[in-house]
Amino acid sequence: MPVWTIILLRSVFFFFLVLFLVRIMGKRNPSRLIPFKFTLYVMIGVTAALTAVGAVNLFLGVVALAVFSLLPIGLDLLSARSKFVHDIVNGRETVLVKQGKVMEENLNQVRLTGEDLLRELRYKNVFNLNDVEFAIMEATGDINMVLKSDKKPVTPKDLEWKVSPQTEPQTVILDGSVSNEALTEMGLNRNWLEQQLETIGISLENVFIAQVDTTGELYVDLFDDTVSLAQPKVREMLYANLEKAQAELSGFVLEIEDQETKEAFAGNAQRLEDLLEKLRPHLLR
Amino acid sequence: MTVTSQLKQTLAGLKSAQGTIRTYALQSQEEELRNIFQESLETTGEIIDSLENRLKKIEFEEPQYKGN
Repeated sequence: MPVWTIILLRSVFFFFLVLFLVRIMGKRNPSRLIPFKFTLYVMIGVTAALTAVGAVNLFLGVVALAVFSLLPIGLDLLSARSKFVHDIVNGRETVLVKQGKVMEENLNQVRLTGEDLLRELRYKNVFNLNDVEFAIMEATGDINMVLKSDKKPVTPKDLEWKVSPQTEPQTVILDGSVSNEALTEMGLNRNWLEQQLETIGISLENVFIAQVDTTGELYVDLFDDTVSLAQPKVREMLYANLEKAQAELSGFVLEIEDQETKEAFAGNAQRLEDLLEKLRPHLLR
Repeated sequence: MTVTSQLKQTLAGLKSAQGTIRTYALQSQEEELRNIFQESLETTGEIIDSLENRLKKIEFEEPQYKGN
C-alpha cells in the first residue's frame, strides 16, 4: 500500500475516534474549560494528529488516547460523588470582592492584577468598582459578580408589577417547513396553522420562521421582506375593546334617569373595570 | 342615536371581546393564564346577560325607545 493511502486511512480512523472520544467526555463549553481540561483536549488532539501521520506507532497512540479520555471520565464520575476529589480536580472558586471590598490576598493568589479585575468587570458592563457587592473567580477563570442591591436592574417584582407567566415559545415553521412536534407540544395542529396563515393572508412557502408564544399567538417572519405584515396586536386590541365597553357603560350611567337601571349599569361598569384591572398584566405587559 | 341602539353596540363590542377571551382561554399554554381567561370569560358572560336583560326590560317598558 502506498504511504498516502495508509495516512488517509489512519486519518479517517482518528478523525472518527477523536469525535467519539470527545463526545463521551461530555458537553462543555470549550471557552469555559478549567485549564486542566483544556490541556487534556490539547493532549488528545496532538496525540491523535501525531499518530495519524505515522509519527507514533498506531497501537501506542490508541493506548495513550484511551488513557487521556477514559481517565478524565473516571475522575468526573469520582468527583460527582466526592466533594474532596471534585475540589482537587477542578479547583475551587476564589472570592475576589466581598462586601464591596477587594480581597488583595486572594487576587494575588490567582495571579490577577487590579487592572485585570477591572477589565473583567468591564466585560460585564460594570465600570464602577463601587457598584460591586461581591465578585468571585470560578474554577474556569470566569469572574462573576453580584451588584449592590440599589444598582441591580429593576425587575417587575421591584415595581410590584404583576406580570403574565410565560412558557418558552415553540418554533412551528422553520425555513418553510412545518414542525409537527412543536405544534403538538402546544396542543395545536396543522389545520390551526393553515387557518392562521390564511387569516394574515400568506402562504406557507413564504414563511421563513414562525413562532407560537404562551398565549398561542403566531409571530411570522417572511422570506420576502418587502411584504409588510401586521404582527398580532390581538391582546392590545382586546384590552382596548373592553376598555371602550367599560367607558360606554359608564356613559350610560350618567345618561339614564331610572334609578334601578342606573344602579344596574353602575354595577356592571364596576365589574368590567375590575376585570380590566385583572387582565392588564396579561394583555398589556 | 337612542340609548337602546347605543346599548346594542356596546353589547356587540363586549361579545366580540368575549370571543377573543374564549380563544385565549383555550389556547393559552400556562395553567394560571388559562384560569384567568376562564374567569374573565365568566365575568364578561354575566355582564352580557345582565345587560341583555336590562335591554329587554327597557324595550318592554318604553317601546318608543326601541332601537334598531
